Amino acid sequence: MVARTQTSAAGVLALLSEQDEPVVRQHALKALLPLVPQFWAEISEHVATIESLYESDELPRDARDLAALLVSKVYFYLGEYDEALSFALGAGRAFEAESRSTAAAEFIETIVSKAIDRYITVRADDAKDDKIDPRLKTMIEGIFTRCLEDGEYKQALGIALEARRLDVIERVYKESKDVELLSYIMEAVLESGFKLSYRDQVLNFLLPLFPPPAPQSSHIPALTRLYVTLSSTPLTVKLLQSLVPKEKLLAYQFAFDFVEGGTQDFLESVRTALPEGTADEKGTYDQLRQILSGEESIKHYREFLGRNNKVDLLILKSTKDALEARSSIYHNAVTFSNAFMHCGTASDVFLRENLDWLVRASNWSKFSATAALGVIHKGYFEKGLELLGPYLPAQEAGTTGSVFSEGGALFALGLVNAGKGKDVEGYLRDKLKNIQNEVVQHGAALGLGIAGMASGSEDAFEDLKTTLFNDSAVAGEAAGIGMGLVMLGSGGQRFADEMLQYAHDTQHEKIIRGLALGVAFLYYGRQEEADGVIQSLLSEKDGLLRYGGVYTLALAYAGTSDNNAIRKLLHIAVSDTSDDVRRAAVTCLAFVLFKNPTQMPRLVQLLSESYNPHVRCGATLALGLSCAGTGLQDAVEILEPMIKDPVDFVRQGALIALGMVLVQQSEASSPSMSSTRALYARIVGDKHEDPMARFGSALGQGLIDAGGRNVTISLSSRTGSTNMAAVVGMALFCQFWYWFPLAHCASLAFEPTGIIGLNEDLKVPKFEVVSNARPSLFAYPPPTKPPTKAAVEKVETAVLSTTAKAKARESRKKAAADDSQMDTDEKPEKKESDDAMKVDDAGASGSKARDVSPLTQLADAATAAGAGTPSTSTPKPKRTVEPSSEKLSNFSRVTPTQFAYISFPPEGKFQPVRAISTVPPQRGAAASTKRGGKGAALAAVSKTAGGGGILLLIDTKPQEAAEFIDLTPPAPAPAAAAAPAEAAPAAASAGSYGGMVDENGPEADMPPAFEYPFDA
Amino acid sequence: MAPDVEMKVDDETKKEEKPEAPAPVPLTPAQIITANIALVERAVSTLEPRFTHRVLRGHNALRRKLDSAILAEVVRNVLSKDVSTRDSLLAYIPDSTAAAESMDVDSAKQQPASDLLPETEAYVRLLVLDFLLDKQHYAQAIELANDTVARVQQLNRRSLDALGARIWFSYGRAYELSGNFDDARPQLLAGQRTASLRRDDETQATLINLLLRNYLAYDLYTQADKLVSKTTFPESAANTQLARHLYYLGRIRAVQLDYTDAHAHLQQAIRRAPSAQTAPGFYQAVHKLSVIVELLMGDIPERNLFRHPVLARALAGYFEIVKAVRAGSLSQFQATLAAHTAQFTADKTYTLILRLRQNVIKTGIRRLSLSYSRISLRDICLKLHLDSEEDAEYIVGKAIRDGVIEGRVVHEAGWMQCDAAKSRGGYGTEVSDVFGRRIAFCLGLHNESVKAMRYPLNAHRKELATAEAAREREKELAKEIVEGEHDGDDDLGDF
Repeated sequence: MVARTQTSAAGVLALLSEQDEPVVRQHALKALLPLVPQFWAEISEHVATIESLYESDELPRDARDLAALLVSKVYFYLGEYDEALSFALGAGRAFEAESRSTAAAEFIETIVSKAIDRYITVRADDAKDDKIDPRLKTMIEGIFTRCLEDGEYKQALGIALEARRLDVIERVYKESKDVELLSYIMEAVLESGFKLSYRDQVLNFLLPLFPPPAPQSSHIPALTRLYVTLSSTPLTVKLLQSLVPKEKLLAYQFAFDFVEGGTQDFLESVRTALPEGTADEKGTYDQLRQILSGEESIKHYREFLGRNNKVDLLILKSTKDALEARSSIYHNAVTFSNAFMHCGTASDVFLRENLDWLVRASNWSKFSATAALGVIHKGYFEKGLELLGPYLPAQEAGTTGSVFSEGGALFALGLVNAGKGKDVEGYLRDKLKNIQNEVVQHGAALGLGIAGMASGSEDAFEDLKTTLFNDSAVAGEAAGIGMGLVMLGSGGQRFADEMLQYAHDTQHEKIIRGLALGVAFLYYGRQEEADGVIQSLLSEKDGLLRYGGVYTLALAYAGTSDNNAIRKLLHIAVSDTSDDVRRAAVTCLAFVLFKNPTQMPRLVQLLSESYNPHVRCGATLALGLSCAGTGLQDAVEILEPMIKDPVDFVRQGALIALGMVLVQQSEASSPSMSSTRALYARIVGDKHEDPMARFGSALGQGLIDAGGRNVTISLSSRTGSTNMAAVVGMALFCQFWYWFPLAHCASLAFEPTGIIGLNEDLKVPKFEVVSNARPSLFAYPPPTKPPTKAAVEKVETAVLSTTAKAKARESRKKAAADDSQMDTDEKPEKKESDDAMKVDDAGASGSKARDVSPLTQLADAATAAGAGTPSTSTPKPKRTVEPSSEKLSNFSRVTPTQFAYISFPPEGKFQPVRAISTVPPQRGAAASTKRGGKGAALAAVSKTAGGGGILLLIDTKPQEAAEFIDLTPPAPAPAAAAAPAEAAPAAASAGSYGGMVDENGPEADMPPAFEYPFDA
Repeated sequence: MAPDVEMKVDDETKKEEKPEAPAPVPLTPAQIITANIALVERAVSTLEPRFTHRVLRGHNALRRKLDSAILAEVVRNVLSKDVSTRDSLLAYIPDSTAAAESMDVDSAKQQPASDLLPETEAYVRLLVLDFLLDKQHYAQAIELANDTVARVQQLNRRSLDALGARIWFSYGRAYELSGNFDDARPQLLAGQRTASLRRDDETQATLINLLLRNYLAYDLYTQADKLVSKTTFPESAANTQLARHLYYLGRIRAVQLDYTDAHAHLQQAIRRAPSAQTAPGFYQAVHKLSVIVELLMGDIPERNLFRHPVLARALAGYFEIVKAVRAGSLSQFQATLAAHTAQFTADKTYTLILRLRQNVIKTGIRRLSLSYSRISLRDICLKLHLDSEEDAEYIVGKAIRDGVIEGRVVHEAGWMQCDAAKSRGGYGTEVSDVFGRRIAFCLGLHNESVKAMRYPLNAHRKELATAEAAREREKELAKEIVEGEHDGDDDLGDF
């Protein structure tokens, strides 16, 4: 019987050792090649011999190529891919021949991918070509050519980008003429963790490749991002100059978009570098300068927030009533809740109505309460000093004002002028130097830091340092933070050294923590430049400094999704000895990863089940920060069970995080919206709940309705780049764990979400856009119903119950019955069926009344109202035929997810100068999905949908006269209508100065002098 | 006959975690398949390979219950969309058309195959393939196996790995049973390469084992050895594959005269193998080899091994051999060898047993050295049935040099002088060494088990619920106290 298959390669191998017979050896090589797949294990023992054949001179070139190929294949089978590549390169022609055959596809594929890897590493280490194996180069060039031939441009670009072959990028672009590809490269280089220096090199290279922008061209957002990232004044000025003569609108649009994303000093330098211009262009340049100062944007956003203010005062009122104002934590809670809800709306109705509550503030809660004014009037910087005047420290020394309200006012001044503080910097520095009280200094230092954020002002830094050296714990902490904020993102080694030196010297933990955070701010966005500092901070013995190290790591890599940073943070999160550091590490994951909110729930799921409550708490905030404003169902599903956590501060974190995640969601888009609101009301109202959880609930209430329900919380700006102020604000907000007043800084991350259209004169015309989605999907939540009288009655019965227990029960039952009757009486306009439901609810809560506190019941009533809303507030027939689109006017709220559905009617008078959204509308998906699938559908729409904001409009029909929206004081805020009757007059007077800063309109009256009735 | 290495993990003990277990009435195969397909889909959607593993654990039990009607029904339901695959699979199932009408009962329960996952298709193909193997339609099985393997390789999905590995196993089995095992070798080698490139550990482990089995089936021990030395067996491989691999290693080492190594591998294989009742074939095969290796090492296996219910009959011949070696009787050894030649050849242990002849003699000499302090070479000849005194002298000389006995040959006088008795005594370090090895093994096993433990999903949510309840109780208590005060007041009022 003949052996059907060969069982060994030994015979052929023996031929190799024929020393003097080159022909035989040559034949052996040829014979071995097809045997490799079967007998590689055997051949591998003779690989040294074959290698020597490759190197020997006695064989002809072809045979040596063959030997190299053979060796390469054997190494490939052994899994030694680097060796395999080296020999494959040596094989030359034989390898090429092999690559044409299909039999060894895997071999070729592996070798080629190894070649690319090696090429990239070699190029990354040293960009000079001379050290690279020319054979490798030829191979890579071949790959590029093939990619171009096949039209696989993105593949070629990917390799070119990683291998730092900018010339190839240019080649590809010339070939394809596709601007999309340039945007693609830009995204790639910004998002995927390249070194900063290389990133700038690529961006500078890309810039001239972009064609000059024209109205409606798709690459405007990309260009904007490019200029903002490069922050190069000459380039930007050149761009604006080129646009001014022909494309005035586009120049304005760019200027507005720069204001969105640019740093203070960049904008300032562009502003000063803009030329005066000739006579007819002078007006345009003046306008540009005006826009770049940021005042135009803020003015319009302010207008938008004031006009659309939808704060539900009833929520605030019941929270205030439930939380005992004598306790400072509760007082603070209500202060923050109010500040967040009214952020930027300039509506201080609540404060005016509750002066008696305000009086109860003492010491640091007075500081917070005063600072809240800054949050409420955020952006009103012309009036800042005036508004806060009554509380600011008087000019002459030795005044009698309370130090706490003075300090708070200085902090508030910073918040009003956040990031645009060149006007108040001098004032704050002056106060910092001249007033020796540590509380006032604390406020001044914080204010100076926030107002002068990233201004790089050396003078401010020196003044803060002087304060720091006084070694006062309270003032020193703020000074440390302030120093970091002023030098935000400068990466200055000198500053860091000074700060860390002092942190090592001082005894005060507060100062150390402040300085550690300050250092973190110094290295904001510096990526690998910060590695040294991060390393040294993380290896400190002092937990406070490691805490700073964690924040340095997170802020340096903010928004990069850098894998190394994430790995480090995760490691710290499970291994550090200090609970604070571990908590911070988990929270900080959010800063690194916020651009991929969908990843976050998976990443922290296990951490959220950790045995360590601090890690769990960190996980809640991480989810809240990264998924803020997305309503991501996955995040909510992790957070909801954590509300039941046995540890109070975990519950607090979960409640706050829920508020962040669900901000601006509607009942239709997020099923857990109403239940969460009801939960807040219940926890706030529950006397036996832990104070921290109640505090968290109040904060959550503030966040979920932030900015009059017209802002979203987002760490990235509309163009998709990292929003510096927001990241810093949220980093500071996280410090509320140690220091309540810092919670106010969350307002820095609030971003108004509206559609604001301007014409070429920067006036506000009336126009309409179409939102191609069901109106309920993006509707405001319905206002809460005023509590029924029965609930109040019951408070009395419960309190006054001194009679026998049985009797008390009886009366309660009666009250419950009254309750239901009262309900039907009060709402006669409701349908019968709804009534029945209501009665049932009331009956149920009535029977529970024995063991539930009246306030809980109040909350129950609210739940019932909330749950019943979809069916009660909209009549049934309307629901079935809910329109699939709605029309929105200028200055309407448009949430980030909604932008994808917005379109300008083509026949309209006005068209936007750039696309309103960078994401194509997913109409089909959104229209067809039902309530259950909503979370998924919305998650599909990326958070960085971008677009929106302030839009410049082209007037397509100039012959028609445009109507303009009057920016003079608007009618009483809509909130007033929902407020209880007795509050209406006050609300009306408060709403009256919403738009008073508009220069065009007639000057509005100053509000009546309003002063906190603090006892001095 | 080649040792039957078919194995499956004990599904008796794991029953509680099976979805079909709680039902008192055993499920019909069609229902089990439906449940399994759901599990496979869940594994893909949650990226959790353990669901697929659970399906594969019950696979062998399910195999026995299949018939062509059920299978045809399953194929028809699951692959309702993909007509070409369905028809090609149905063509493999005998009598599939006849059963078309009769089995419409279950079709309502089958979930509509909305988007057919490749994993589901692979699972159905595996069912058909194994069915063909069971029904001994080897030619068709090979055809289907080739088709399926090509498809799995082309898809290149990590979620397919576990199923792919199982399909490869059936592929090898099909070739082996049809008697053309060597035809499969190039394909197996190519598959192994692909798997290692894709870091597909499960397939890699299966394929390395199949290759070793393939080589050993054709007595290609050098090739097998080279394969072992040039590849690394993936650490994460399943226990069954690891046990197999250890067994093959044991065989290679035994043939290469490296008995200590062989013994260690075989011991590991025995420990790793599933319990004797579930995989008796493998258990017997390993023990046969292990008994011989132990004898070759000069040890005598424990007697109770041969009383084991699973092993008693299979190891009868080996028991005879052990008795002969123990007695040191060459004649008995030869007689036993002659009587069981057929079995030993089938077990592929014949050549190894031939090597035992030396050991029989050595054992005999050792027995003699213990019994006599001095014995003439001639007597040795007689007692051990040796041919001549010279032979005896050589053998004794070698035994002394190998350290089997302690003593010397007095050539002039023609006797063997033994001074063994005085040097023996006590247990030496041997016992503690063995003990130490066992402890190390147990500790290793413990550590691995701890690492393999999983926390149940969402278990903490239950804890949360209880914590919530506890807090509620606390609150109620606080309220009770308040109310209690009222009651107290009332009571006081009575006085």
